[in-house]
Amino acid sequence: MSGFAEIAILLAAPLVLAAAGELVLERSGSIQIGAEGTMLIGAFAAFSAGRAGAGPGAALVLGILAGAASGAVFALVAIAGRTDPILVGTAWNLVAFGATAFAYRLVAGATGSVLEVATLPRSLFGLPAAVTLAFLLPLVLHVGIARTRAGLRLVAAGETPDALHAQGISVVAVRSGASLFAGAAAGAGGAILVVTVSPTFVEGMTAGRGFLALALVVFSRWRPLWLIPASLLIGGATALQFRLQAAGSTAIPWAFFVALPGLLALLALAVSPGRGGAPKALGAPAP
Amino acid sequence: MSRRRLLLAAAVAGGSAAAFVGLVLLAGASPADALTALGEGSLGSPAALGETLTRATSLVLLALGAVVAFRSGVLNIGLEGQFLMGASAAAAVGPALAAAPLSARLALLFAAAAAGALATAPAVWLAERRGVPPVLSTILLNLVAAAAVTWLVRGPLKDPGADYPQSRPLAAAVRLAPLLDGGRTTAAFPVALLLAVAVAAVLERTPVGLKLRAAGASPAAARAMGLDDTALRAGAFLASGALAGLAGGFEVLAVTGRLFDPFSSGVGYLGIAAALLGGTGAGGATGAALFFAALGAGSGAMQRDTGVPSAIAAVVPGLLVLAVLLASRRLRPEPP
Repeated sequence: MSGFAEIAILLAAPLVLAAAGELVLERSGSIQIGAEGTMLIGAFAAFSAGRAGAGPGAALVLGILAGAASGAVFALVAIAGRTDPILVGTAWNLVAFGATAFAYRLVAGATGSVLEVATLPRSLFGLPAAVTLAFLLPLVLHVGIARTRAGLRLVAAGETPDALHAQGISVVAVRSGASLFAGAAAGAGGAILVVTVSPTFVEGMTAGRGFLALALVVFSRWRPLWLIPASLLIGGATALQFRLQAAGSTAIPWAFFVALPGLLALLALAVSPGRGGAPKALGAPAP
Repeated sequence: MSRRRLLLAAAVAGGSAAAFVGLVLLAGASPADALTALGEGSLGSPAALGETLTRATSLVLLALGAVVAFRSGVLNIGLEGQFLMGASAAAAVGPALAAAPLSARLALLFAAAAAGALATAPAVWLAERRGVPPVLSTILLNLVAAAAVTWLVRGPLKDPGADYPQSRPLAAAVRLAPLLDGGRTTAAFPVALLLAVAVAAVLERTPVGLKLRAAGASPAAARAMGLDDTALRAGAFLASGALAGLAGGFEVLAVTGRLFDPFSSGVGYLGIAAALLGGTGAGGATGAALFFAALGAGSGAMQRDTGVPSAIAAVVPGLLVLAVLLASRRLRPEPP
C-alpha cells in the first residue's frame, strides 16, 4: 500500500474507533464529551504497558481495559448518578489530562528524553490487523443496532426512554452498557495511536482527536456506516496536511484541514432536519 | 447557607484535600512540604500573588460567562473558542491602535467582546431555529476557533519580523502596565472583579436577571408567564460569549501582548469547572476561579521544590467538579 494511503488509514483508525464508541453511547441517549480524556487514558495505559515489557498487542488490550474502566466511572457518575453528562465530561477531560500528565512525569521523570514502545506488526494490505478490524466495527454496529434485541433497546433508550422504562427495562443499565463500550472503544483509539503511528507518550498527545470523534458522529448523523468515509476523509486530510507541510507548500492554508471536520459537522447540523438527526433523548436523565 | 449545602461544602473540601494528599504521597513527597511550596508559589510573595491574580483574571471572566449561560439554561461549552476569538480580535485591531492609550484599550476590549459574542451566533441559530443542542455546536465551534488561530498567526496576522508564527505585538503604550512597580497585576484584575459584582447584581437583583433565571429553570413555565424564552436564551448566550471574548481580550492586552498558537491550553473548560464548583453563582464562581488560579500558579513552584508534577492543578479541579456533581445531583433544566 502506498505511503500516503497507509498514513491516512493509520490516522483514521483512532478516530473511527472513538467515534464508533461515542455513536453507540449517544444512540443510547447519553453523551460523553470527555472522549478526549478517555483516549488519553487509553494511550497512557498502552504506553505504560509497553514500557513494562508488554508486547504491542497486550498494550492495546490494556488500553481497551483502561478505557472500559473510564466508561464505568462515567456510567456511575453521569448515568446511574443522573448528573448532567456534559458537565461530567468536561470535568473528566480535566481529570484525564491532568492524571496522565501527572503519571507520565512520575514514570519518565523530568529527563525529557523520548521513551519509545514497540508497534504492531503489519499483516493484511501492509496494515496492522487491529487497524483493519477497527474499520469493521461500524459494519458490525450497522447490523447490530438494526437487527439485534440489544440494538433495538439501545435505540429505544435514546429515542423513547420512558417507553423502555414502562416495559420494565432499565434505561440506566442499557446506557451503562453503552458507556462501557464507548469507553473501551475510545481507550482502543488512544492505545492504537501509541502502537501504530506515535509509539511514545506526550502530554495531551491525542491532540483533540476525542473532539474530532464527536464531530464525526454529528457529521455521520448518528449512522455507523458513515463513520468509515468520514474518518478516512479526516485521516486523508491530516496526512495531506503533513505532506504539504513537509514540502513547504502553502498553496492551501493547512489550518483549513484542521477546521474541516468541525465545519463539515456544523454544516450537517444546519442542513439536516430535526435537531440535525440527534437522538431525541440525547443528554436527558434516565427515567 | 443551608445545613445541606454546608455539609456538601465540607464533604467536597475534605475529598479534595484527601485527593491532594494522595497524589502528593504517590509522587513520593511530603504533603506538608508540598503544601508549603504551593502556598509560597501562589500567595507567598508579591511576584507569586501577581502570578495568581494574572491567571485569575481570564478565569474569573470565563467562569462568569459560564454562570450567565448555565443559569439561563444554555449549556455553552464553547467558552474556549469564544476566548480564542476574543483574543484574535484583540490581536487583529491592537497593533493598529497607538494614539490615545485609553481609547485604544477600550476599542480593543470592545472588539474582543464583540468577537466572543459573534462566535456564539452559529450555535444560537442552530439551537433556536433547528433545535440543535448547544453542546454539539459549541464543541464543533471550539475546533473551528482553534483552527482559525492556527491560520491567523501564520497568515493574515503574522508578524513578518518574527521567525515563530505569531501576531504583531501591541504598542507598549497600549499594553496594560502593572499597578505597582515590580508587580505583575494590572488593572485587568479589578475590572474582572467589578464585572463579577455586575453579573451578580444583574442576575440576582434585576428584572432581566429574574427572567433569565426563569427561562433557565423552566422554559415552558417562562413561556406560560408570557416571557420570550427564545430571546432570553439567545441574549444570555451572546452575553456569555462576550464575557469569554473579553477574557481573551484582556489576556492579549495585559499578559501576552500578541496572539500565538496554541493560545490556550483549555482555560475555557477550567472556567466551566470554576462556575460549577461555585454553584453557578457569580460570587462562588469568582471564588473558585481564584482558587484554581492559585493552584495553577503554586503548582509550578511545588513541582520545582518537591517534584510533585504540576499537572495536579488540572486533576484537583476535575475531581472537585465530579464530587460536586455527584453530591448535589444537579439536573439540568428540561429542554424546551
